[in-house]
Amino acid sequence: MNAPAASIGHESHGHHGPVLQYQPGLPLTRGKLIMWLFLSTEIMFFAALLGSYVVLRFGAAVWPKPHHVHLSEPIGAFNTFVLICSSVTVVLALEAARANKRSLAKAWMLLTLILGSLFLGVKAYEYSSKFDHGIYPWAPRGRIYERPDLYYGSAVRARLSEPAILAKIKELDGRPESELSDAEITGRRRLKQVKDMVNNPDQQAFDLAVVADQIMPLPGEGSDSHGHGGGLNDTFAWLQLPAVIPGGNMWASTYFFLTGFHAIHVIVGLIVFCILLLYELGPKTAGMIESAGLYWHFVDLVWIFLFPLLYLF
Amino acid sequence: MSNSGPHESSNVTHGPKTSPGKLPEDIGSAAEDEQAHEQHGGIMQYMAVFAALCFLTTMSFLTYSPYWPWKDEPQVGWAFMMAVSCTKALLVVLFFMHVLWEANWKYVLTIPAAMMAIFLAIMLIPDIGLRNRMVSQERALHMARGSDVLLLEKASSAGEVENHEHE
Repeated sequence: MNAPAASIGHESHGHHGPVLQYQPGLPLTRGKLIMWLFLSTEIMFFAALLGSYVVLRFGAAVWPKPHHVHLSEPIGAFNTFVLICSSVTVVLALEAARANKRSLAKAWMLLTLILGSLFLGVKAYEYSSKFDHGIYPWAPRGRIYERPDLYYGSAVRARLSEPAILAKIKELDGRPESELSDAEITGRRRLKQVKDMVNNPDQQAFDLAVVADQIMPLPGEGSDSHGHGGGLNDTFAWLQLPAVIPGGNMWASTYFFLTGFHAIHVIVGLIVFCILLLYELGPKTAGMIESAGLYWHFVDLVWIFLFPLLYLF
Repeated sequence: MSNSGPHESSNVTHGPKTSPGKLPEDIGSAAEDEQAHEQHGGIMQYMAVFAALCFLTTMSFLTYSPYWPWKDEPQVGWAFMMAVSCTKALLVVLFFMHVLWEANWKYVLTIPAAMMAIFLAIMLIPDIGLRNRMVSQERALHMARGSDVLLLEKASSAGEVENHEHE
C-alpha cells in the first residue's frame, strides 16, 4: 500500500511496528482557521443576498434609476474610498504590530475605527435622506406607490383630508403673497391644482401622473445630490403626500436589506476594533489583529460589490 | 518502509512530530514563524494596491460621469463595472487578506464557497428572476410597468411647459 501523505513514517521501531506521524492539520493558526471558516459562510450569506438582489432587479418589469430613488453616486463613491482607506489602515496596524511598533499600531487601529465610524455616519445621512422622501422599507411609514393609479389618487385624497393637513393648508391659503417665497407661491398654486385633480370624479390616468409629478417628480440625471426635484413634498415638508416611484418598493426592500446587513457587519467590526484597542498591539496580539483585519477586509469586499450594484447599475 | 533510515531524519523532513488527536504546542508558533519569514512585499506594496483600488473606484465612477461614451447601452457599463469590482475584490483578497502568500489550504475554503455562492444565485432564477412571466391578475393590476415611467415623464414635461407659461 502506498503510504498516504504524512500518515506513516519512513521508519519503524523494529519490533514495535510503524510509528504514525501526522502533519499539523493546516499550516495556519487556529484563530485564523476559524476566521476563514466563518468568512466562507459569510461569502455564501452575502452571495445569497446579492444574488437575490440581482435576480430581483433583472426580473422586475421596472426598476428605478439611482436618481429616481435619491441615491447620490458621489456619496457612494466617497464611502467606497473611506472603506478602502480603512482596509489599508488595518493592514498597516498589523504590520506595525508585527514590527513591535505598539503605539503606531494603536494609531492605525484608532484611525480604522474613525474611518469605519465615518462610513456609518455617511450611511446614516443617506438613510435619513431616503426617509425624508418617504422611502422606508415597509408601511406604514413608506409612502411609495408603484403607479399613478386610482389607489394612489385615493391615498393622496385621504392624506389631504386629514384634519391636521387641512388646518395647515388653510393657514397657508390665508397668508398674503408678500410673506411667501417664490417657491411657496408656486407650491400653493400647485397644491390647489393637485386637490382639484384628485377630487375630480372624471380624473384620467394622465391627471394622476401629473399629480404624482407635482408631488414628487422623478428627478432627472442632472438633479442635485439630494435628488430634490422641487415637488410639493420638498416645498412643504409637513405635507408628506404619497409619491410614485415605479418599482420603488422592491428597490427600498432590497436597498435597506443589503445595506442594513452590511452596516451591521460594520458595527460588529467597530466593536472588535474597540476591544482590540484595549490590548497592547504587539507581536503577541498580531494574530488577533490579523483575524479582525480579515473580517474587516471582507466587509470592504462586500461593499466593493454593493457600491456599483446599488449606485451605478 | 525500511529500518535503514535514522530516526532523526524523518523529524526534519516531516515537520513536528504529533500524536493522534493531540495538537503539539508549537504548531501555532510554527505557523506564525512561517508567516513572519514570508515576504509580504512591505508597506510600498500595500500603498501600490491602495493606489490601484482608488484608481479602479474612479474608473467605475466614470460610468456615471458625462464622459462615459456608452450611455445608451447600459450593458456595456454593467460589464465594465463588474470587471472593475472583480479586479478590486481580487486585489483586496490577494494582498490585504494575504491569500497570495497562503498555502494551498486557501483553495479548500474559497473554491467550494464560491461555487455554492454561484449555485445559490442560479437557483433563484426560476422562482424569483422569472416571477413576472406569469402573474395573477391582481398583481398585474398593481405592479409598475414601463408605461408608468413613460406616463410620468410625459406629465413631467407637460408640467415644465406649464411652468414656463406661468413665468
